[in-house]
Amino acid sequence: MQNHNRRKMVEIQGVVKFFGTLKALDNVSLDVYDGEKVVIIGPSGSGKSTLLRSINKLEEVNAGSIVVDGFEIHDPKVNINKVREEVGMVFQQFNVFPHKTVLQNLTLAQVVVRKRSKEESEKIAQGLLKKVGILEKAHEYPTKLSGGQQQRVAIARALAMQPKLMLFDEPTSALDPEMIGEVLDVMVNLAKEGMTMIVVTHEMGFAREVADRVIFMDEGRILEEGSPEHFFKNPTHERTQQFMRQIL
Amino acid sequence: MAEITKTPKDKEKKKVSIEVGDGAAIPSKEDRGLFTAWRVAFFGAIGIVIYLAVFKPDPYLDIMKFVPDGILVTFEVTVLSILLALVIGLFTGLGRISKNPIINGIASLYVEVIRGIPLLVQLFYIYFALGRIIQMPPLPSAIMAMGICYGAYMGEIFRAGIQSIPKGQAEAARSLGMSSGQSMYHVILPQAFKTILPPVGNEFVALLKDSSLVSILAVADLLRRGREFAAESFTYFETYTVVALVYLIITLFLSKLISIMEEKIGAES
Repeated sequence: MQNHNRRKMVEIQGVVKFFGTLKALDNVSLDVYDGEKVVIIGPSGSGKSTLLRSINKLEEVNAGSIVVDGFEIHDPKVNINKVREEVGMVFQQFNVFPHKTVLQNLTLAQVVVRKRSKEESEKIAQGLLKKVGILEKAHEYPTKLSGGQQQRVAIARALAMQPKLMLFDEPTSALDPEMIGEVLDVMVNLAKEGMTMIVVTHEMGFAREVADRVIFMDEGRILEEGSPEHFFKNPTHERTQQFMRQIL
Repeated sequence: MAEITKTPKDKEKKKVSIEVGDGAAIPSKEDRGLFTAWRVAFFGAIGIVIYLAVFKPDPYLDIMKFVPDGILVTFEVTVLSILLALVIGLFTGLGRISKNPIINGIASLYVEVIRGIPLLVQLFYIYFALGRIIQMPPLPSAIMAMGICYGAYMGEIFRAGIQSIPKGQAEAARSLGMSSGQSMYHVILPQAFKTILPPVGNEFVALLKDSSLVSILAVADLLRRGREFAAESFTYFETYTVVALVYLIITLFLSKLISIMEEKIGAES
């Protein structure tokens, strides 16, 4: 599955992160290649969200190195904002901007960060809204939308920056069950288009459909990694087996 | 900084309500007693003013002709001071949440010092004490003193308003590549303004009342005009009755405006 001749999009080396005395990440190393889809699973508190958030420096790690798109993000000479322009992020709580319309949610960073004209960014925004199926809501405020629709706005907002890498932090965990499908569909389509994706989720159906690799984390460590089939059929660790039994 | 990824939401929500207390009591429909009291006081005051003007024109009508010039000055002082206070308050609020220890220290020190000195003493200090170094006319001195004083209170309102916006909003903005300044300007402050509008209105009413202190610096505001009239005609009771009624009508009217504004904002969100 993996092509090691491909460029590395993310290189994580020996990362350690403490929250007070709690060791959230314990010497974690992980490479993600261009175009690869990695799904991270694990019980809550296992450090999977912290790992994801450290990739765009929403969490600062205490030790180790993280290289994203060729930039060591802890190097003081590296402008983290430039790195973040290329890394889209989708949150569990959507975090859409409630004071902006759906369209403005998508154009804001394009204009402010990418310095695109209003016309150009609106064109891109409309194209993406059509793609995620909510073009008709372009001029509504996000608070009027359902959770699933808000999350699709959030995905489109990240895509409007035309990122090289997309991070998903439990994107369907805050959704009502009947809305999970519409968000996963958008993510599956994005995967098929070749986007590099790192997804923290419990949706094993999604993992089976798109993941090149599944990572199982527990207590701040990567315990096991392999293909989705490996996790469904014969996970090695007892801890992994236990976890898989619980979520399937 | 050392907070776990999933910050409990109720912790963020607790900060949303901003203390309201030093202006005028804001009439709300939930508080029936206060709502009735507002009506009685407001229409009662207007009724008394009309009654006095019609049935006791001497000296009341003369007083009512003399003092309105002061109302304009009172508003002038209030509006300019609040504008100054808003600017100072914005920077103070940003300073108070700054991670830079020097900026944070200066902002916090300003808030502590100013809030610990009575406004009247600050007025004297800027006009008389600093007057030995830079002599400023009374009106600018008054506006400066009031603006600096209320800026400290406003700073706390801005700080609370900014902190009431969920952390995820800034994270979303930053993850799109915005700088902390861009995120503050485009995402956080526009949302915080909604939260701080009612307490700012409340400060406006409080400042309007406190602006009567500037009459001591010979600024011809509402109270000063009253004093001038009373001193010449010896109608102290009548004049100060009118002055008190006019202040009452203005503050009650403004507090009603704030309550309408609060309702509108509440209905939107």
